[in-house]
Amino acid sequence: MVGIASCLAMTLCEWQMGKTQETQYKQSSFQRMGKICLVLCLLFAIVGLTAYKGMEQVVPMGDYVFNYPANFGNRINVPADNPTTQQGVYLGRLLFYEPKLSATNNISCGSCHQQSKAFTDGRALSIGVNNGLATRNSMSLANLLWARKFFWDGRAASLEDQVAFPLTNSHEMGQSVQVSIQKLSNTRLYPGLFKIVYGDSIITGDRIAKAIAQFERTLISANSRYDRYLRNAYKPTDDELKGMELFSRGPDPEKGIRGANCTHCHGGPKTYLELFHNNGLDSISKDEGMAAFTGLVTDRGRFKVPTLRNIALTAPYMHDGRFKTLDEVVDHYSEHIKQSVSLSAFLQGESNEVGGHSLKLLPKEKKQLIAFLNMLTDSTFITDKRFGNPHQSTKN
Amino acid sequence: MKKYAIVLLLLIAGLTTNAQTATKEALIKVTGEVTTPLTIGNAEFQQYKQTTVTRKDRDGKDHTYSGVLVSDILAKAGVTLGPELRGENLAKYLLVEASDGYQVLFALAELDRGFTDRTIILADKVDGQPLVPADGPFRIIVQDEKKPARCIKQVTAMKVMFAK
Ligand code: HEC
Ligand code: HEC
Repeated sequence: MVGIASCLAMTLCEWQMGKTQETQYKQSSFQRMGKICLVLCLLFAIVGLTAYKGMEQVVPMGDYVFNYPANFGNRINVPADNPTTQQGVYLGRLLFYEPKLSATNNISCGSCHQQSKAFTDGRALSIGVNNGLATRNSMSLANLLWARKFFWDGRAASLEDQVAFPLTNSHEMGQSVQVSIQKLSNTRLYPGLFKIVYGDSIITGDRIAKAIAQFERTLISANSRYDRYLRNAYKPTDDELKGMELFSRGPDPEKGIRGANCTHCHGGPKTYLELFHNNGLDSISKDEGMAAFTGLVTDRGRFKVPTLRNIALTAPYMHDGRFKTLDEVVDHYSEHIKQSVSLSAFLQGESNEVGGHSLKLLPKEKKQLIAFLNMLTDSTFITDKRFGNPHQSTKN
Repeated sequence: MKKYAIVLLLLIAGLTTNAQTATKEALIKVTGEVTTPLTIGNAEFQQYKQTTVTRKDRDGKDHTYSGVLVSDILAKAGVTLGPELRGENLAKYLLVEASDGYQVLFALAELDRGFTDRTIILADKVDGQPLVPADGPFRIIVQDEKKPARCIKQVTAMKVMFAK
């Protein structure tokens, strides 16, 4: 009760203060009113807090400001009907880690997207409710603020659209949105929070999706050794430097230039370009990839080029988790590219040997390439308290 | 026996649907600041006046690309080219997208005969042969441009927009 009262006081004063700010420069009486309001508000808050100490946290309010390096660019993707707010992110984080959203009450988004593994789960195929296997490898959730197409095949056009899939998929969380709404409505925690975020305590599938999407947009990874190198705050080792060179250069055996040409698809400061390619894993891909909905032969086995950020933490690799180590991945590009009609043009005839069909890197070069890939690990991202499971500290 | 027949039937059905998906045609959608949105497949493509452009490919050799002027396609869609390409229309650009999500853009003035003699075409053939699947069926070819980065392959969409 007191909690709600203090919330109400907070929103009331927010509104009053907003009004005050608008007219501040004209009328000082409004300013005084604002001050009185602030004192009142604080009083309410203190009363509320002392009465319910440890029961409810103070919900941070206001616009959420994204912090990222300038070289990431500003082509961010926030839909007009879901601006990011601190209260929205707060709610979204609770929902992201909420096992009540699964049919068996033991699986949350955080089960398959674990922070310590850069929001993947370490399995070839994820395990959902009733031990069902997901059809693909879990994807890292980092720097999604810049992404415009989601899933391995890019079938979802926004994070908001994406959420419905894991929630209801029988191999993932397996619970209808109706039941989820019911369960959340019966908690002491959520109706009040939805009120703070959306103005009334009605819980809908749309609102659940919006809050989770807001939280996901805040998962920004920008402090790996590579990022620090780009802002002149880290001096790479020789192997890292050589690896970086190989990573970003195309091979030209006739001119004696050695390279691995990874930048074509994985380049840029984010090591993510939002491209979809067939990278030669199979001559006939079992998983159709994008072709499942475009129906084009050239889209068969074509998948999202995933971010390489924190790649050392996100094994196993590829859409089906077929490679256990980065050595296996690099061996693939070096020796085992499979020809097919849908094989990317960037992987055809790219070789360090004249007339070769795959890269043919030397053992030393493979080591250097992997040294570079290890530079992409961002240990602050996987320990950032703002991204962790909040339920340990909140009872509901 | 009956069981096998059913399995066989299902198999054939499966194969034919597979074959159907496999033969689906790649199309280009022309949208945005147009009066008539277009969808271009091979049949529509062949109705335009055909032309050629020669440029070096990554092998360092000259190749002859044939196809149609991008400006002809835009004109058919009712884009403001020619005498209409003035004033605020000069703040328009064409965004070309490929099936892998790659995007490149051209200012409308780069595509207009009144501004430049440089030819930019949407090609479907190189040296008389259809483009290979990884490049085609349609690819933009920019005459004389030093880097090939805007010669975007596997084009799926062309959208005309105003710079905001
Ligand atoms: C059972 C494991 C599992 C659960 C639970 C799960 N995911 Fe996923 N997630 C996956 C898998 C597997 C994929 C790739 C699926 C595909 O491409 O078809 C994925 C993909 C994604 C992507 C796409 C990332 C990208 O780069 O395109 C996002 C975003 C995502 N999940 C968010 C969530 C959210 C939010 C929840 C909770 C509502 C959730 N996931 C629950 C396994 C899971
Ligand atoms: C033609 C574009 C292309 C090029 C060039 C390319 N990749 Fe990839 N890469 C992909 C695609 C597409 C995937 C996902 C494929 C899949 O799962 O089916 C991928 C996946 C990966 C993965 C696994 C990511 C994960 O989360 O599972 C790693 C690691 C990787 N690539 C490293 C490299 C390295 C190192 C190079 C250079 C030697 C390279 N790639 C060159 C397109 C490319």
